[in-house]
Amino acid sequence: MFFATSIAILVTMALALARAVMGPSVYDRVLAVNMFGTKTALLLSVVAYLYGRPDFLDLALTYALINFVGVLAVLEFFQNRTVSPDLNKNDDVR
Amino acid sequence: MIVLFAIFLLTLLVISAIAIVRVKNLFVAVMLMGIFSLLMASTFFILDAADVALTEAAIGAGVSTIILLSALALTGEHERFATANRWLPLLVVTITTTTIIYATFDKPRLGDPEAPVHQHVAPWYLQNTPELIDIPNVVTAVLASFRGYDTLGEVFVVLTACIGVLFVLGARPEDAPKPAKQQGLRHHLIPKVVGRLLVPFIVLFGLYVQFHGDFGPGGGFQAGAIIATGIMLYAVLEGETAALKAVPSSLLMAMVAGGAILYGGVGVAAILLGGNFLDYSVLSSNPVDGQHLGILLVELGVGITVCGALLSIFHAFAAREHK
Repeated sequence: MFFATSIAILVTMALALARAVMGPSVYDRVLAVNMFGTKTALLLSVVAYLYGRPDFLDLALTYALINFVGVLAVLEFFQNRTVSPDLNKNDDVR
Repeated sequence: MIVLFAIFLLTLLVISAIAIVRVKNLFVAVMLMGIFSLLMASTFFILDAADVALTEAAIGAGVSTIILLSALALTGEHERFATANRWLPLLVVTITTTTIIYATFDKPRLGDPEAPVHQHVAPWYLQNTPELIDIPNVVTAVLASFRGYDTLGEVFVVLTACIGVLFVLGARPEDAPKPAKQQGLRHHLIPKVVGRLLVPFIVLFGLYVQFHGDFGPGGGFQAGAIIATGIMLYAVLEGETAALKAVPSSLLMAMVAGGAILYGGVGVAAILLGGNFLDYSVLSSNPVDGQHLGILLVELGVGITVCGALLSIFHAFAAREHK
């Protein structure tokens, strides 16, 4: 049961990473990073139970609390700075 | 099964690392760095290094994204083309990589009980921690007591690094940011409400990590970063000026120096009470209680320095931005 859950989470992480790498817009990437953080918190909780050490849930809690701050910082960054939200033209990998 | 997880996570790690190197938009690189850090923390955790994973979580998820974004606000968003010759760096990287891969052939298998690292002092620490220090988390015992000198060195490295960054950025405490046109996210309802709710809980959780470090993963480094993140969240929501009013930069300077002095002071107190430098056993009539007290004070010093240093660097970036 735990294995199935963790595999599902790992697949979601891979999909989020694909979205973050491919883009194309800034918002896709912000959302991908946010989702990646949520999935990390979930993965850590599942693995903590697999290891039989629920006190390691502290780690997942840290992520749950702090991941949000990064996203807010990104929002503030975009508020103070008018960046072209469409990065299609010039951010493609070399 | 866990090995498969680790291999999968390491593959994702490699993919995101290559993407960070190849992407040319620096904002995208910052976002990918966030993912890289999350993957790194999961890998540490799967390798059963909960204290390291917690440090990576505390720094990588919040503080480093915020500081990288502050740096990005000062510079351009696009990487400049490298005009220099690319063959020399490629050669250096190839030679280094080959050497490292060659060195791994001699490396003992992961988790091998016969590995030299498990034969040296580690068994002694594991055997003697319950008797000498009597705390469940051996990592904290090693970090704060057995290897107290090393950690003292690390705290002074943090202090020196903070001083260096402040010099480079050229920010003085008087350079408080002028109230800019629109600071913070206070005009947006949802971030404001949710964020304000979160600030006290993040700080509370930081205090828990600080004082629970003897019993579970955590300690001064992680707690300092978490509390600094909480205050940075306040700054992001309410603007720099409000955050500086809550925690003035003179207090931050005092925190950076004071934490290091507290750590060193515990060592000097141990000398004055007739022990060796940083030998906490003499701090109380019962040696084990003395160790507990010493570890508590030392971790507090670490936490104060780290929190002060991260916040000073954050404000230094912001002050430069408003110049």
